[in-house]
Amino acid sequence: MAKIDAKASKKRKAVTRDVEEEAGVFSGDELSPENLDGALSDSANDLSESEDDDSESEIELIDDFSSEDEEDEEPELDSDEIPSDTEEKMPKKATIADHESNVRIVKDANGNERYLYDEINPDDNSDYSDVEENANTIGDIPLSFYDQYPHIGYDINGKKIMRPAKGEALDALLDSIEIPKGWTGLTDPSTGKPLELSQEELELLKKVQMNETTVDGYDPYEPTVEWFTSQQEIMPLSAAPEPKRRFVPSKHEQKRVMKLVKAIRDGRIQPYRPPEEREEKEDDLVNYDLWADEVERPDHIMHIPAPKLPPPGYEESYHPPPEYLPSNKERKDWEAMDPEDREQDYLPNDFGSLRRVPGYDNFVQEKFERCLDLYLAPRVRRSKLNIDPESLLPKLPSPEELKPFPTTCATVFRGHKGRVRSLNVDPTGIWLATGGDDGTIRVWEILTGRQLWSAKLSDEDAVNVVRWRPGKDAIILAAAAGDDVFLAVPPIADPEIEKASLDIIDAGWGYAASQPPPSAAEANKKSTPPKWIRPSSELADAGVCVVIPLRYIAKSISWHRRGDYFVTVCSGASTPASVAIAIHTVSKHLTQFPFRRRLKGGGPPQTAHFHPSKPILFVANQRSIRGYDLSRQLLVKILQPGARWISSFDIHPTSSSASGGDNIIVGSYDRRLLWHDLDLSARPYKTLRYHRKAIRAVKFHPGGRYPLFADASDDGSLQIFHGSVTGDMLSNASIVPLKVLKGHKVTAELGVLDIDWHPREAWCVSAGADGTCRLWM
Amino acid sequence: MSEEQVSSAAEAAQRQVRVQLTSQQEDIALPESTGPILVPTGLRRYALSTLVNNLLSSEKPIPFEFLINGTFLRTSIDEYLTANGISAETTLEIEYVRALIPPLHIASFQHDDWVSATDVLSETSPAASWASGATFSKGQERILSGSYDGLLRIWNMSSEIIATSPAPAEGGHTASIKAAKFVSPNQIASTGLDRTVRLWKYTEDDEFSGKITPQLELYGHKSAIESLAVHAPSNRLLTGSADHTVGFWSTKKADAPAAPENLLPSSIGRTSKRRKLNTSVSTAQRGPLSLLSGHSAPVSGAIFDARDSTVGYSVSWDHSLRTWDLVTGSLVDTRTTSHSLLSLEHLPDHHLLAAGTSARHITLIDPRASATTVAALTLRGHTNAVVSLARDPHSTYGLISGSHDGTCRIWDIRSTKTDKDGVVGESVYSIGRKSLEEEGKADSKRVGGEGVKVFSVCWDKAVGIVSAGEDKRIQINRGEGVLSSKQ
Repeated sequence: MAKIDAKASKKRKAVTRDVEEEAGVFSGDELSPENLDGALSDSANDLSESEDDDSESEIELIDDFSSEDEEDEEPELDSDEIPSDTEEKMPKKATIADHESNVRIVKDANGNERYLYDEINPDDNSDYSDVEENANTIGDIPLSFYDQYPHIGYDINGKKIMRPAKGEALDALLDSIEIPKGWTGLTDPSTGKPLELSQEELELLKKVQMNETTVDGYDPYEPTVEWFTSQQEIMPLSAAPEPKRRFVPSKHEQKRVMKLVKAIRDGRIQPYRPPEEREEKEDDLVNYDLWADEVERPDHIMHIPAPKLPPPGYEESYHPPPEYLPSNKERKDWEAMDPEDREQDYLPNDFGSLRRVPGYDNFVQEKFERCLDLYLAPRVRRSKLNIDPESLLPKLPSPEELKPFPTTCATVFRGHKGRVRSLNVDPTGIWLATGGDDGTIRVWEILTGRQLWSAKLSDEDAVNVVRWRPGKDAIILAAAAGDDVFLAVPPIADPEIEKASLDIIDAGWGYAASQPPPSAAEANKKSTPPKWIRPSSELADAGVCVVIPLRYIAKSISWHRRGDYFVTVCSGASTPASVAIAIHTVSKHLTQFPFRRRLKGGGPPQTAHFHPSKPILFVANQRSIRGYDLSRQLLVKILQPGARWISSFDIHPTSSSASGGDNIIVGSYDRRLLWHDLDLSARPYKTLRYHRKAIRAVKFHPGGRYPLFADASDDGSLQIFHGSVTGDMLSNASIVPLKVLKGHKVTAELGVLDIDWHPREAWCVSAGADGTCRLWM
Repeated sequence: MSEEQVSSAAEAAQRQVRVQLTSQQEDIALPESTGPILVPTGLRRYALSTLVNNLLSSEKPIPFEFLINGTFLRTSIDEYLTANGISAETTLEIEYVRALIPPLHIASFQHDDWVSATDVLSETSPAASWASGATFSKGQERILSGSYDGLLRIWNMSSEIIATSPAPAEGGHTASIKAAKFVSPNQIASTGLDRTVRLWKYTEDDEFSGKITPQLELYGHKSAIESLAVHAPSNRLLTGSADHTVGFWSTKKADAPAAPENLLPSSIGRTSKRRKLNTSVSTAQRGPLSLLSGHSAPVSGAIFDARDSTVGYSVSWDHSLRTWDLVTGSLVDTRTTSHSLLSLEHLPDHHLLAAGTSARHITLIDPRASATTVAALTLRGHTNAVVSLARDPHSTYGLISGSHDGTCRIWDIRSTKTDKDGVVGESVYSIGRKSLEEEGKADSKRVGGEGVKVFSVCWDKAVGIVSAGEDKRIQINRGEGVLSSKQ
């Protein structure tokens, strides 16, 4: 192996440069990864060759150009790449052997003998004598097949045509600095030599280039030789008569035609028939219709149909009516406008006819923008909540459907001097009782506003409250003025009822007389129940029957539904807690103080009402309402309306009966009207805050015939509400504000002080601080 | 183009319709020969009226109203045709009647207190027509007023008081009078808050002085009596009371049963000044023929059927209208409306009962059993409770109502309009109170009719429209020709 190496190295010196170069290329091929690696740092290596020993290809390249000092490196290369070297050396030896003798035995790469013969000299009488001596005879084979070999083919004598040396080419290049005539810079593929053009060839090329005829001596402007005259001759050239065949039909042709006719008749020739569309049904072939039972499927869940565009209008036509064409000014304006501001992104244009319409000049632009749209603004189904805000509001019936309710002032009751503090409609619904600052109680005809009766209870103290006794069997009016509570029978009814009323009141005198008189010590005590006394003769003439000296100013009176009891509340802060709330029994002329101590939390008691059907007394102090079972003497309910100062409350008339549980409305001085459903919670079911000022009085329509309630406020208005209570426990009361009734004048910060309903009709009456009462119907 | 429009508009104006003008009244009827006339459709009432006057060639033009299909023409014919979808090619039947003349104020009689009731005695009034033999010459008209001070007054037409009823001490009403009526030219019935019906003898000494003397006191109601109806030929009275009953009484002392003891004023148990004052004059006391109970609230109106005095109608605050057979005293029929009814009047020619409600309108109710709906028509326009109703003596279609809003309104039940509630009647005229005008506040509205409420209204052919109210006056307005005359 070493020997071969040495030989190879020796040979290397002898071989032509091209072979050496070939080897370099070869090894370079083998080292292609490194080569590639080096290629990336190519320029750098060229500039500084001293530093790189790692890149073989680089070194070899240098080898090619500097042939002297390659010796020390070559073995290293060989030892590295044995297979490739041996392969490449073998043809080289053969070439060398060719030159030496006729038949020689040489050793090939594997060490076998190889015979090399002299070349054959063919005879001179060859057919191909004209063939060039050195022409390549490989025929139509691409030269690249010989890329691995030092030769590029064979000449006519079978002699190898050696590849022209590249060194020569380099020399030639150096030589061609003076470019010889006919130099092309190309290599003749057949010879491998530089292709040079001869003088003739150059001229030929020049002619071709000049678009001239390449033939020598061709005159493009030869004078025309008229072989035949261009004029039309009148007389024939020949005088011979026309041959007969021109007139007689050709028998031969007839014969041929008849042959065709016969063939057609025989059916041998079928006349052309357009091919019928025949169904090629082949029984043995089964076609499966995969989509036979295809049903239309709903769109994919993410399918978004493209928005439907409006059909194009006249202005988009290529030939729009003249009125759609923009004027010059419009055109100028449009062009001056920013493209983003334009209403439409085109101008109507008249092209006259469709074929004059040019290509769409914005085609690319538009495609781009569409793509941009698709890319930037993907059509996504937006899950926006599409809720009508109206639907979020509770479904309240319209006030029109909830008629009747009071809407206008029907009567004004004028007569009181100063404020009217309280009013009440009698159980029959004919009379209205009022009491006011002037110390009088008055009874009016409710419809006409005629005052029927009046009594002055007190000269200096105002009448704080008037309340009719419930029940139609008697007419008794309870009124509180100053420290006293009065029971009166106004002389307005017929003698029978009047007598019954008097009997009811007078029955107690005897009972009171039968009781032992209280001791002196007891009488001095403040909590001693007061004794009912007869009024002064003046008052007695006016119709007052009993006076109850309470010693404190009672602000509230409320009758029990049977008409035997009523409760008074003295809400003054100076009133001792033990006597603030008093229950009076008419039949016994008895006053009792059921509470010894003040109610917890919330100042003095404000007002009290009996439950319409149960033996429960509801007492309100400033912040809470407590229900006491009178028979068991227990606290049964505490309501926390959340108001700061309760002014009044009312219990729904159908409470605890068949239809629904207890419902209570509470009015407060801090402008709130609160609806309590006792079944739900101690807190309000609904809070209504519609008034600008304190609410003075609240009232349900009595009897439950109309589901109405109303409140009266210091802002001079009444508000009427619909509040229906249903029988079943599942549905809550529905509350609808119906009407604001305005009319009372606000005097000294006070508006409407009291309110009441007509027992049968949807009429309400209000007492105003302006000295009037009003009937609303 | 504009020219075309103009010409088409002109064409529309020139569009003509064939009309057949007719009248039910012979004195203004066109001659027989007058056939259908072509008139431009743009014509309105005034132009048509001029046309008819021309056709009649009357010297003094008479204003006419035009009825097409029973409703008054209030627009141009063109608009009417369009509104009713009638082709202009049909022949329109147009009926014309005399137009109404506004009810001018004639006189006001000042009282000391609110006037709650009024009635008229004239040759055309029912009391006079019922009375046999009594004759009334023109100028003898008398106006009766009942006042809240408990006194009845008789006025002549020159606003002089001819007679006043006695004070409570002399057998007069002890409380306000709510209703008063002439029974005959020399008998008066009145009732009021003192729960009695009183019959008075009325005698005139001469033209300027007369006397009202108590004749009979009728006890039976337990509460204020709100209304009174009189039927003189059968000597019967009908009252509606707040004690929920309808009282049926006889005006003859001999017919009437004895008065219930417990209701007599002497039965009052307690010492009362009134008793001391009472009965310096003793009057016969009688009771009711029957008390018809059925209502569940105060009865606000009770009337006799205009044709048949054995049938009575009553309305009440309990929303119902009840029909009574007075012979047996039994309830025949009940019609329930949705509002309190406060007044009642019978329109016999149309089988309708007009009832004034607290809901500010008048409901026309067909009391016959065959009627399918309760309310045949609603007359809207008042702004407060309608408490008094009276028939138009000139026309069967006419009606006048007195309301707490301080107006009287004249209605023609043919004059209707369509609003959101369907067809409703429109008032033809509204008569305000003269007292307001005199104060110079004719245009201002009183809240709740304060001070000007009308309590009673009466319409007589000779005297006119007499209304009484809270302004302490009786106001007389011209009543003739106010409505298109009867057909």
